[in-house]
Amino acid sequence: MIRYIARRIGHGAVMLFGISIFLFLLLQAAPGEFLSDLKLNSQISPETIVGLRAQYGLDQPLPVRYWKWVESSAKGEFGYSFAYNVPASTLLWPRARNTLLLSLPAVLLSWLIAVPLGVLVAGSKWRWVDRLFSAGTSTLLALPDVLIALLALLIALKTGLFPVGGMTSIGAQEQSIWAWLCDLAWHMALPVAALVVGLLAMILRHVRASVGEVLESSYMRAAEGHGLSRFKLLFRYALPAAANPLISLFGLSVALLLSISLLIEVVMSWPGIGPLLLESILSRDLFVVIGAVMLSTVFLILGNLLGDILLYAFDPRIRRQA
Amino acid sequence: MRALRGVDLEVAPGQTVGVLGESGSGKSSLALALMRLLPRNARIASGSIEYRGANLAEFTSKQLRKMRGAEVALISQEPALALNPVLTLGTQIKDVLKAHSTLDRAQLAARSKEILCEMGFEDPERILRAYPHQLSGGQRQRVAIAQALVCRPQLLIADEPLSSLDAATQAEIVDLLQRLKREMGLAMVFVTHNAGVLWSLADLIVVMREGAVLARGSMDELQRSPDPYVQSVLFPEKSVLMAPREKAPAALAQPLLEVRNLSKKFIQRHILSRKKFMVQSLEAVDLALPEGTTTAVLGRSGSGKSTLARCIAGFETPDSGEILLEGRKQQLTRTVQMIFQDAATSLNPRFTARQVVAEPLEIARWKTELDRMARALELMEEVGLDSASAGRLAGEFSGGQRQRLALARALAAEPKLLIMDEALSGLDVPLQAQMVRLLMDLQARHGLTYLYISHDLNFISLFVQEIIVMEAGQIVERLAPSRLGRSEHPATRALVMASERLHAPGVEAVV
Repeated sequence: MIRYIARRIGHGAVMLFGISIFLFLLLQAAPGEFLSDLKLNSQISPETIVGLRAQYGLDQPLPVRYWKWVESSAKGEFGYSFAYNVPASTLLWPRARNTLLLSLPAVLLSWLIAVPLGVLVAGSKWRWVDRLFSAGTSTLLALPDVLIALLALLIALKTGLFPVGGMTSIGAQEQSIWAWLCDLAWHMALPVAALVVGLLAMILRHVRASVGEVLESSYMRAAEGHGLSRFKLLFRYALPAAANPLISLFGLSVALLLSISLLIEVVMSWPGIGPLLLESILSRDLFVVIGAVMLSTVFLILGNLLGDILLYAFDPRIRRQA
Repeated sequence: MRALRGVDLEVAPGQTVGVLGESGSGKSSLALALMRLLPRNARIASGSIEYRGANLAEFTSKQLRKMRGAEVALISQEPALALNPVLTLGTQIKDVLKAHSTLDRAQLAARSKEILCEMGFEDPERILRAYPHQLSGGQRQRVAIAQALVCRPQLLIADEPLSSLDAATQAEIVDLLQRLKREMGLAMVFVTHNAGVLWSLADLIVVMREGAVLARGSMDELQRSPDPYVQSVLFPEKSVLMAPREKAPAALAQPLLEVRNLSKKFIQRHILSRKKFMVQSLEAVDLALPEGTTTAVLGRSGSGKSTLARCIAGFETPDSGEILLEGRKQQLTRTVQMIFQDAATSLNPRFTARQVVAEPLEIARWKTELDRMARALELMEEVGLDSASAGRLAGEFSGGQRQRLALARALAAEPKLLIMDEALSGLDVPLQAQMVRLLMDLQARHGLTYLYISHDLNFISLFVQEIIVMEAGQIVERLAPSRLGRSEHPATRALVMASERLHAPGVEAVV
């Protein structure tokens, strides 16, 4: 088991390394840099710009810049933000925490809703449940994520029950911990709901499909023939047998959720990685872009690692192969 | 569509009723209907199922749950598929007990162990902790029976419990059921297409055809029945009149394929421990197949015969030894084709019959699209399939037809050697006979060489020139089919005994 996980982590490290090189090359190929806008300003002399380029290290060849970034990453700084004049990490860490604050509850909530509901729909004997389910999930799948976010904003505006954006109310920090937490939860409610709505339909469909397939199998009929209760049949016999593809999906859903959450953060002005990434791309703040993408990659790798570990724990056949 | 038409059936306490019929005669639907386990698209149109005076057809699902497993139990067709792959066998047996009793943990464990011992397991502790994939097919079927009987039901419904087990294991399971019947006073409905097993087991036999009961009575009464269908299901071997072919001059023919000193090991982890160990799957196997002849490789499951086939076909790389095809080192080639046991899984069910057959031609870039289509139809006709059905999906054909389709596909590659890995084992005896006849025909026409791998002896003497018996990765005996009955070797004896056990006496003409 430990060797299995160690190997997975090794794969992850290699992947991070590869992605970092790829990112450097890609951003190098993109036109313009942080200082490009200054060139348009006639008041700034070309000499100043050359000086600034040297100061930021932009005049160095790509391998040297990459090596410097690796060095600074080893120190935990992940390069330097041109726009804010601070190490990239001081920008990234709080943002990453905020993003996790949204996406972790959203992932958990979607799965906690989708699994029991999907199993029940798969096990239902009534046709109208099936029809309702298909219609409902198709509608949800067809809704673009931006529209969901905008709808959530509209609800906040019209009802006034929820804040329109941001993470905390002004002055919330000065209150007691409890009041601050309540305030945070109140701000989280809409973005998390939007994320769950964006993810739920896909997971539900997969749960129903894989459980439905298992329900057709002969071992389920055999178990039914032994007089087991409906609940036990569905949740103890069918669900674990259907879990394999779902666990793989779990890792993927983390990745998918991150991309949805970047969008929803921007629309609902949640101070996560999303708005930071957008802003730094627009201002060509190189190392912040790289840091933000690398962080997303780390989340993705961790999500998949968690999926692999769960798979190992759930499926005796995989245990044997590993 | 009507799967069953006006079937009447009565089982007395302690009595065994055999339900006999061809594939598609509705016997499995009957077994499932008795448990009210028919698939969702089926329903009981009329009639009643009475168990001790209560009509099961009108039971609520709660009443059904109480009855299933505790009063009436089911063993289903495929032992490999009757157990949940992700739960330990202990969990699965104990869950049945829990559903029907209020035993505490210690009692559950004790009762599970007891029932496994009754099924003939010597190490019930290990079995309880194991997962289904860690057991052999025969062990799995015994666990499935344990699961069905753990609550001591009065009536057992066995739906083809022997198909897909090797002959020796089948004989073991029949012995087990007979002992249980004696010891537990169990009533049984035994559904099968193999009349042989019913000789020793059934008190009464019901012959079914197209969903209706055609005849009923004891074995002796049925034997005297003049009805040709009854005769054909009772003695499928007799209905297939085939003259044993004159022996080809095997010694004179050039060897098409030579196998020299072939060995293959697999590394496996021990069940429930982290220790690795080697399984010798093939050990120093020597073999020569003369051109235009048929050689049979016999042995129980796990004797290494499939590994041998896979090595020859090029699917496995042997650890040592040589495989020479027409005197040359052999690589994965179209000259050697293989047919598998289960055409349902070896053919893509979403391909049409014509696509299935034409695919090898396409891979070989044979002539033009039109020529390939014409050739595919021709091949289908050659294996006895109606070329008008070329547009149907492979999944829509019946088991026997699918195996013919697999044969047509193999022939498309114009092979010299055809390896049949249990290719007939999944078919019932009349279908096997038709296939054997077809194979002999094709051999005569195209000069094909066959390597026939099997765990039973059906039709062996009719179309095989040499028999090779394998055990634990080694060839233990080589003999002509005529000497099979007189063999002294224990592995060969076991095969012959099992075959006798499973077939009606007097029809051993096949051996």
